[in-house]
Amino acid sequence: MANLNLTLKVWRQENAQAQGRIETYKAKNIPDEASFLEMLDIVNEELVHEGKEPIVFDHDCREGICGMCSLTINGVPHGGKKVTTCQLHMRQFKDGDTIWIEPFRAQAFPLLRDLMVDRTALDNIIAAGGFVDIRTGSAPNANNMPVRKKTADAAFDAAACVGCGACVASCKNSSAMLFTSAKAAHLNLLPQGQPEKNKRVLAMVRQMDALGFGNCTNQYECEAACPKGISVDNIAKLNRDYMIACAAEAVGVFA
Amino acid sequence: MRPLQSCWLCLLFCCCSRKNLVFGACFFGVFAVEYFRKDVIAIMNDIITTACKFVTSSIGRKILVALTGACLLLFLVGHLAGNMTIYGGDPGNGVPSWIDAYATGLHTMPAWLLWAIRLGLAAILLIHVVLTLALKIENVNARTQYQKEGTLKATLSSRTMVLTGIMIFCFLVFHLWQLTVNGDPANCYQHIVDAFTSPICSGFYILAICCLFMHVRHGLQSVFQTLGLSTRKVRPLYNIIAVLFGLVVCGAFISIPVAVLCGILK
Ligand code: HEM
Ligand code: SF4
Ligand code: FES
Repeated sequence: MANLNLTLKVWRQENAQAQGRIETYKAKNIPDEASFLEMLDIVNEELVHEGKEPIVFDHDCREGICGMCSLTINGVPHGGKKVTTCQLHMRQFKDGDTIWIEPFRAQAFPLLRDLMVDRTALDNIIAAGGFVDIRTGSAPNANNMPVRKKTADAAFDAAACVGCGACVASCKNSSAMLFTSAKAAHLNLLPQGQPEKNKRVLAMVRQMDALGFGNCTNQYECEAACPKGISVDNIAKLNRDYMIACAAEAVGVFA
Repeated sequence: MRPLQSCWLCLLFCCCSRKNLVFGACFFGVFAVEYFRKDVIAIMNDIITTACKFVTSSIGRKILVALTGACLLLFLVGHLAGNMTIYGGDPGNGVPSWIDAYATGLHTMPAWLLWAIRLGLAAILLIHVVLTLALKIENVNARTQYQKEGTLKATLSSRTMVLTGIMIFCFLVFHLWQLTVNGDPANCYQHIVDAFTSPICSGFYILAICCLFMHVRHGLQSVFQTLGLSTRKVRPLYNIIAVLFGLVVCGAFISIPVAVLCGILK
């Protein structure tokens, strides 16, 4: 296995107020079976040895399920290989490559340090309506509550969103429509979520607007960058559901 | 007296004589509104509150942009159909071009109708432009620039909608000034040929229509997504329709200055 020697252009910024800048590092002797984050671990070890501050980045599970890792790699969140950064392997790169590493950028994601941003805004959208109020009990027996296969699949696909925020970071308008629409759709499609559908849609969209995300222009960058293959069909559905919810609210179908 | 009782009294009053009918009906209306006032206000409040929230929300404004955009697309089709009459008739041999009759025809429609159409179109365009610019400003402010930008899928036309839109708007102002304000319906054909004989004028026209192509190419398929009528199954079809629509419409528009420059229309 050939090891890689890379040049990294990394965004460094001490805190939210500090002036950020790109710094250049050499990543030497990186095994190509390393993940992107492991590559950064190796670089960081060297930085610590030299008595320098290591590069700060977010991570947790490192197996592609928690949505905590971020990084915009060569201008594309998660590197655009349909996996999370922790699942991105160095074999995707060639010896001698220069790699640009920046945080997930958006005004709604304030930068904390280096490559770490605050994605609380996404949690706030969930808090506004991404839940079911009633007690639904434990998992029902299979086929107890009939759900069409197509519907179940669509709900499951939407529920695969790990809330990483790559959709926002990749969007030319920093819109959170893909995230919001996936979170709304996975509940709206299922029987447990349907009683509160209109209320949920209005609350989540209004919260999304209030948090300073941009407006979708149907460029579908989000879908291309999403590590979980969330489809922009969810956005079309949210647009549809929003119209219905507004009509319902206007004539007072629900309080 | 309670409003409801007043209503009945008014009805009685109406029945007394025909002259009282009008007064009675008026009073009845007033009292009826008075009786239902609370409900009327509640309903209106709900509707107006929601409407205000809708037209200030991200999705609501996008839907208005899509609806006005769709109207403008329909206008393009109508306008194009009218323009194609320029190829009818045989002005070289003394048979006037059909476009003269078409232009004169447009001007013989009742003034109120002509102005209703003009003002309606202007209002639609105004809503479209104001909302898109407002959305664009928000989008720019919501974003933080990357040092190294990367793009996976966004088309050039989708990323230049404001630029092509502004180009279309500038063209529109010039176009109206040149052919509507300074035009003469009876001499429409000659006026157009004279205008397009200038390569600068033709060039500007062709450039603007190319911008229109880019705008429509993204815009048409975008309408379906914004209105929630799109799925991954039909999205490629909408893209094909958008490109074909753009090619046919813009190609046909451009054919006119090209025909003039080539001497086919003279
Ligand atoms: C005949 C003239 C025009 C036509 C047929 C037209 C058509 C459209 C259509 C169909 C859309 C897509 C709506 C959506 O779903 O988002 C659109 C969007 C847009 N239009 Fe126009 N438009 C015209 C003029 C203009 C003008 C004069 C401007 C001036 C600024 C403009 C700026 C925009 C912008 C910025 C968008 C949003 C793009 C996006 O969401 O990606 N348009 N237009
Ligand atoms: S939709 Fe995809 S990119 Fe956006 S937060 Fe969910 S998993 Fe991440
Ligand atoms: S660290 Fe959990 S998804 Fe990458």
